[in-house]
Parts: sequence; C-alpha cells; structure tokens
Amino acid sequence: MTTRRPNPFTGPRSAMTRRQLLMRAGALGAAGMTLPAFLAACGSDGGSGASATTPGTTPGTTPGTTPGGGGAGGSLFFENWPSYIDPTEDGATGTVDRFKEATGIDMRYTEAYNDNNEYFAKIQPLLGRGEPIDPDIIAPTSWLANRLIRLEWLDKLPLDQVPNAANLRADLQNPAWDPTGEYSLPWQTGFAGIAYNSDATGREITSVDDLFDPEFAGKVGALTEMRDTIGVIAMSLGIDISTLTTFDEAKPAFDKLQEAKDSGQIRRFHGNDYFDDLSNGNLAITIGWSGDVAAIARDNPAVKFVFPESGATSWADTMVLPKGAKNVAQAAEWMNFVYDPVQAAQITAWVGYVSPVDGVQDEVAKLDPDLANDPLVFPDDATLANTQGFAPLAEDVEAEYDAAFSAITGA
Amino acid sequence: MSAPSSRGGRVARFALNAYAGLALLYLFVPIVWIVVFSFNKPKGNYNVAWQQFTLENWKNPFSDESLTNAFVESLKIAAISTVIATVLGSMIAIALARYKFRGSGGLNFFLVLPLTTPEIVLGSSLATLFLDWNVTRGFTTVVIAHIMFQVSFVALTVRARVRGFDWTLEQAAQDLGATPVRTFWKVTFPLILPGILAAALLSFALSLDDFIITLFNAGSLVTFPLYINGSFRVKFPPEVNVLASAILFVSVALMLMGTLWGARGRRKSTA
Amino acid sequence: MSSAVVRWGVRRPEMLGLGALLLAGGLLAAVGTRLLTGPLAVLALGTVFASIVALVVVATMGTPETRRKIAPYGLLKPGMLWLALFYLAPLFTLLRLSLSTLPSRFAVEANFDWNFDNYVTAFTDFGPQFQRAFMYSGIATILTIAIGYPLAYVIAFRGGKFRNLLLGLVVIPFFTSYLIRTIAWRSILSDNGIATGMIGKFRLTWMLETMGMMDNGRLINTPAAVIFGLTYNFLPFMILPIYVSLEKVDVRLVDAAKDLYSTSTSAFRKVVVPLSLPGVFAGTLLTFIPAAGDFVNALYLGSPNTTMIGNSIQDQFLVQNNVPLASAMSFVLMLIITVFVIIYSRFFGTEDLA
Repeated sequence: MTTRRPNPFTGPRSAMTRRQLLMRAGALGAAGMTLPAFLAACGSDGGSGASATTPGTTPGTTPGTTPGGGGAGGSLFFENWPSYIDPTEDGATGTVDRFKEATGIDMRYTEAYNDNNEYFAKIQPLLGRGEPIDPDIIAPTSWLANRLIRLEWLDKLPLDQVPNAANLRADLQNPAWDPTGEYSLPWQTGFAGIAYNSDATGREITSVDDLFDPEFAGKVGALTEMRDTIGVIAMSLGIDISTLTTFDEAKPAFDKLQEAKDSGQIRRFHGNDYFDDLSNGNLAITIGWSGDVAAIARDNPAVKFVFPESGATSWADTMVLPKGAKNVAQAAEWMNFVYDPVQAAQITAWVGYVSPVDGVQDEVAKLDPDLANDPLVFPDDATLANTQGFAPLAEDVEAEYDAAFSAITGA
Repeated sequence: MSAPSSRGGRVARFALNAYAGLALLYLFVPIVWIVVFSFNKPKGNYNVAWQQFTLENWKNPFSDESLTNAFVESLKIAAISTVIATVLGSMIAIALARYKFRGSGGLNFFLVLPLTTPEIVLGSSLATLFLDWNVTRGFTTVVIAHIMFQVSFVALTVRARVRGFDWTLEQAAQDLGATPVRTFWKVTFPLILPGILAAALLSFALSLDDFIITLFNAGSLVTFPLYINGSFRVKFPPEVNVLASAILFVSVALMLMGTLWGARGRRKSTA
Repeated sequence: MSSAVVRWGVRRPEMLGLGALLLAGGLLAAVGTRLLTGPLAVLALGTVFASIVALVVVATMGTPETRRKIAPYGLLKPGMLWLALFYLAPLFTLLRLSLSTLPSRFAVEANFDWNFDNYVTAFTDFGPQFQRAFMYSGIATILTIAIGYPLAYVIAFRGGKFRNLLLGLVVIPFFTSYLIRTIAWRSILSDNGIATGMIGKFRLTWMLETMGMMDNGRLINTPAAVIFGLTYNFLPFMILPIYVSLEKVDVRLVDAAKDLYSTSTSAFRKVVVPLSLPGVFAGTLLTFIPAAGDFVNALYLGSPNTTMIGNSIQDQFLVQNNVPLASAMSFVLMLIITVFVIIYSRFFGTEDLA
C-alpha cells in the first residue's frame, strides 16, 4: 500500500472527464449529429438564482460552498443509482465529500438502487406498514415517484429550506408525475434512444427499425425499463406515448417486441448492465440511456448513441423523502447544495446526463467547453421536440402494462 | 488391478485416463481465469479482457469501500452462522451416530429434506415467513437462513465422519472411573473434532458463497455475492477476482492443513 | 400432574424424549405459521418450554440408564426445533400465501381466501419456464454423469496414492464463488472470447452449429450455454457421491469378476456399475434438484428465451412484488421435485442416500 492509486471501481471514468467527452463528441460527429453549440435551450441565463461564491475553475479544488451551509452537523443517507455522481478521485473532491466538508454533515451515500421495480419491492413491506426505511433520500424514476406519491409513502420536501430549488428548469416545474411539485426534485434527466457498436453493425444506425433487422438477429438488446423500451418502439410506430391512457393504444409496440423476442432477435433485456456486451460486440444494437454511452465510448469509440428518427423518450430520476425520513433538515441542505449550478456542473461533467438545474451550462463551459456544446447534455429545442415522456398510468392500466412486459422479458 | 492384457486394453485405458484428465481440466478452466484476471489491469469498468499484468490489485484489495463492507458483512454472517450451526449440527450428528433410538429413521429423513429442497424454495418460503411476521429482513434474517441450511449439512457431514468411530472407547473410559462429562471432553471430543472442523469449514464456505437464499432474505443488506450481482450491472473490478482467489487460496491451505493433521492423527492412533 | 409426567418419563424415557421432541417441534412450527395466535401461541410456547424442562428434570433425576436413553433426544432438540421453525413452518406459510389474494396491487398483507388462481396462472403463464427448468436440469444431470463418472472411476481405481490429492482438486472449484465462476464462463464463452475464437480457428463452428451448441456463431445466451453452466456448476455434486460408492468397491471383487466373465467390460458392467448405483442416485438428486431451481446460470448465460422457473419466481417475488403468485410457483416446483424424488427412489432408490 505504498502508492495511493485511483479507485479501481470508478477509476475507468476517472480523470478523464475531458478525454471521455471529447471522445463522445467525436462519436456523435461520426453519428451525423449536429452540434448546436451554445444555443441549447435550457439554462441560458446562468445561475442567477444561486449566490455561489467561488466558481470552481480547476478540478482538484473545492469549487465553492453553498451559503449558510457550514456547521449544521447531523447525518444524512442518500441511496442512489450506481455511477450517478462524481466521486473523489485523482485529487478531485467528489460532490459528496465537498458537501460533507462544507456542511459538517456526516453523509452516507450508497449505490444500491439498481432497478425501480426491484427497489420498490424492497421498500414496500416497510413503507406499506407505515415503518420508515433507512435512507433519507431515494432516487425513484418519475413514474415510480408518482406511484409513491399516490400511495402516500412520501413526505413533502422542506422546499422553504431549499432556496436553490428556484433554479429548477422551467419545463420540470409541476411535472405530470408530481403536479404540485411538493414531493420531488429531479436528480438528473435524460433520454432513451438507440445505442450501437458501429464495428458490430458495420453501418451507422438511424432508425428503430434497425433493432428488428434480421441481420442483427441475436445481437439486439432492450432495456428492462418498460417505459423506455416500449416508449421508443411505440414512437417508431407513430404512437404518442405522452397521452396513453389504455393498454390497447400501446399494444402494437408490445406485439412487435414479443415477435422479436420469440424469433430470437433479442439476445438480452438489461438494466444498466449493457456496457460490457455493447463494447465487446455481444450486442450490436440496443435501446440505451444517453449518459451511459459516454462511459462506453471512452473505451471504445465505436459505441455510439443516437436519437432515432422517430424520437427518443425522456425521463427524470428524482430525489424524494420516504415517509418518516429522519434527517429532513440535512436532506434540505443536500438538495440546496446540488441545486447550486456550480455544484451541479461538477455532477453533470462526470455523469453526462441532462441537469435539471438552470445555469449549469455556463458553469460546465468553464470546466469543459466541448461538453457545454453537447446536445445530449444540453439539448436544443429541436432535440427536445423530438422526445416524449411516458404518460402517467392509472394503477390498473399500469398493472396491465407491467404484466404484458414481464411476460415478454420472459422472467 | 491386473495389468491390461491386450493392446486394445492399453489404448482403452489410456483413453479413459485422458478423458478423466480433460474432465479435471474442465473443472479448472474458470478457476484459472479468475486467478489470472486478478492480475489484470483492465481498461474500462469490466475486468473481462486481458490487457496488462499488474500486482496493484493484490497490493490494495480493499480500495473500494462498498465491496469491502459487503465482504466484511459476509464474513461476519458466515462466522456467526457457522458457529451456531456447527454446535447444533454436531449435537444432532452425535445423537444419530452414537445412539440407537426410537424415531431415528424419521428424524433422519427430516434432516435430509432441507438439502433436497431447491434453494429458491428455501429462500422464498423463509422470506414469506418473515413477511408474515412483519419482520424486517436484514442481517439477522440472513444469519437465521444460513443456519437453517448449514445445520443439516453439518449434521450429515459430521455423522458420516463419526460413523466408524469406536464408541466402546467411551465405555472403557467410564469403566475406568471417568465421569460422562470428562469422558466426552477427554475421549470423544478430540476424536470427532477433525470431522467437526471439516464440516465447519465447508459450511463456512457455503455461507460465504450463498446467493439465492440470501437474496430473498437480505432486505437492504449487501453481502459479497449480492454485491457482485448488483454491481455487475455497471462494473466487474479486478478486486473481486482478488478476493475470490484469496478465499480459494485460504481454503486450499486449510484443506491441506486438515489433511496433514488427519494423517498425523491416523499415524498416532495406529502407533 | 407434572410429577406424574416425570414419573412416567423416568419409566419410559425414550417415549418422553420422542414425544417431547415431536410435540415441541409441531407446536413451534404452528406458532411460526401463525396457526396458533394470541393466548394459544403463548400456551404453545409454554408447552415447548415445559417439554425442555421436563427433559432436563428427567435427565437429572433418572438413573444413568434413563439418561442414556434420553440423551439423543436432548442432543437433537435444539437443531430440530430450529428446522421446525425455519424450515417446516415457512413451507406452510408459503402454501398459505400461495392461496391468498393481494387486496390491492401494492398491498403488504395478502388475504388468505383459498384462491387457486395463483396456481392456474403458474401453469398457464409459466409453463415454458417449468418445462425449460426440468429439461435443462435433466440434460445437465445426464452430462454430469457422462463427465463425472469416468473421472470418479479413474480416481477411485487408478488414483493410487494420489487419490486424496485428485479428490481435493475436484473440490477446489467449490471454494470460489459460484457467481464469479459463472461470470468467468460468460466471459470465456462471449462472442469475442477465448472459446469462440478457438472454435473458429479449428473451423469447428459448423459442427457445433449443427449439433445445436452454437447459434449464429455465438456460444453464449443460448440454451446450450445455460445447460453448459448448470453442468459445470453442479459437476462436483455428481463426482463426489460416485467416488464414495466406488471407493467401497473391493478391487479383488473386480478381479474375481474378470476371471468369471473374462472381459473387463462385462466385469465392469456386472460388478462395478451395480455397486456404484447408490452414488449415481445420490449424485442425481444433488445435481438435478438444485439445478431445477437455479436461476443464476440462466441469468448470466441465457437469453429471454431460456429463462427457467427460478428466474420467474425471483422476478415475481423480488421485482414484480407478486408474492402470492411467486409462492404458488415455488410450491409447484417443490411438489414436482418431491414427486420426482419419490418415483425415482422407487426405481433406483437405496437407503444409502443420507
């Protein structure tokens, strides 16, 4: 143990924010994407709402602290999806550690949130009986946050203690899943589209139909997240997924997926676990999430993400307080911290998803100008117009969708 | 066996040996892969393609906090459950091997049942019990689950070992005036101890490696196998290979020590 | 009354011991399944406690002969009670839950109402998964015999002084994590992995394709890969029992048989095979049963068209949150396996299993 070496678990993504993003920019260029530079729609007027003090200019230094943060103390437990925040490595202090330093709060951050349904099944026996769970903040995707709100398994956010919540992007205020906006703040947002390995496909991909091309039989994947897989396919069939109210409306998409699965076209349904297969060519083409591709593209520039011509789905992962969460004041401090554009920019620069915080683009431009021009991270209006969010479904309709989908995934 | 008489016999003999050798080799293919890749310096999140030799992984196997925590949880669970299961299981084994008694056949059968029930049934049924009791699943429930399958395993393994044991020795000791308690600790226990230790070692390994039953009863607890399964979605770091290889080496060392110890014991008893 | 019990117990210690064990086990299981609740449960637990006290009292008051007769029950009791509470009781809870209905999709408590729909769904919606589970594990079991028997035979009869060493080598793979071994195969068999590369080099692809072991030039995410994984992971469970039964075969017997039947093939068939059948029998159970309930191999080496019933149970229980349905599937799996074991032991059974 003579040398301090980079954390091997996150190491692959370490110290390469820039390099990785350059690669991705290249990959996107190759994919025929245009890069509408500084014209991204969101967050053009900067972090005016945040009174951040010292913008971090160089990685490795603490890029500023939130006002009034210090010295509160106490503890906090946030359970999030894996690889969803910048870690402390290579001399750069990760967001969690910067938060601890700035506030004196003893924060526990885990990455045990792997799948929405799985996580719901895990917390359901407790929250359903009115007992608290250990984490103070959890990160359900918007549709699950909606279900938790309807079940009354969430506490309201102490938004009066989160002044930076004013930085929330306008298009995410009072969203369909949380009409009053009292229960959730988005953590990151993004898109599901097509990810492919151009070495394996031998050509560039533009359309969802390519998923069903017999040429790729047995080398096609799809997400276990029903709303993304069915959403992307349904959009290619001309179905508007933002207005779905019955199962029959989406049935053609289920039928198409069923057929592809039965014929052996689809090799695997996957959650986050397609990096490896896509990179080594076991999967030639799959439905994937925009930010993930950055990590794969660093190892293998042949891996690319495209918005299909028929459009991509957009989604949001949220921060919510499960009912009975103990450390509410500390949770408010945390949300305030990560809604400071200076801090949020650090997260964005590492995870490569679309930040819900206004003013991040300007801060990212200081860290990495190329990233600030990336339409996957700062989408323009044209890009956004080509995306749809999945409609919130009534409980019994959702049950039909879930049953049909799990029958196809075969488990 | 007598030497093969014909040339055909020799060929057949060689073919059979070669076949057996290949079968043995087959058993070792992934083991070799695991050990070799513990010395790899992977590119990317998955340690699955050979890049470059390095000792770094072995120098610093505990660099990831969550992996280390999961590993420590597994060790704690295995230690606690093995101690309890070994005591309970050995008691059963002694009862079954030492005494003839009414009902032994039925109890024997009952004891085998948990080992002939698929793990998924054991795991899911126990989880329904805890759900029914409104017990939050976590460390304690996993320990309970592990003891459940270890008890049968220890009992049957120890019983197999003490089956040939000469119980008249006990009688002799008591005839010489030793109390039953003294007889047990001075005569019986030392003789059956190697069998008990072997069973304990194996059931420790079973606990450390258990995935299916643990998955159903862990709640938000993360053990070593659960960590591997969960994190495989985003990474498969070489430290996992290091820890797996380390478990392998330690077990092999313990096994060798046990064999040597057993050999010494046999020499002593025949002397 | 209690003194009467004690007096009777001192006279018939083995009856007291067995009776107390069965009573305590039964009562504990009943409390565990919540068949007995409230005051009845308290009464039952009191009886369990009293049965232990009675055992101790009889043991201390009785003669050495009484003590000797009661000792096995005392030794058995803690372990057996553990199994009664954490093995037997859960199976009843599983059965009750499999006949229950969730009042709403996300409800925590299911209502027990003799709802057989879960069983109907288990058969209608998950028939293919049941079929695959038994087909894959059946083929894997046959393969483990084909691979394991010769190896066990060579170790037992030709191992000489290396017997223990060779046996140790068979056990060693056991000591690395099951999951990691399966992930290792996943990497070795992957499209750009070592195995696929070697097969391509030796131009064996067409042969394996015709044998159904490869699909479109890939080894992984196929039924063959799942069966291969099952075979590998359960091979030691086949080799060890076969070895144990072969080890008991007296070599002189084989030699005598050779003189009798003149060829070693018939000596093998008429002497060695029958004597090793108990090992094959035990190995078959130890391989087939866990393989039929396995979901790890199908998860890491399979595709959506190769999921086994274990995957479905896991998914319904831990992801879809439909515990009653998952319980019904678990129960059916256990039932089918139990029937299989009973029929199988009728035909090939020996008492040597345990």
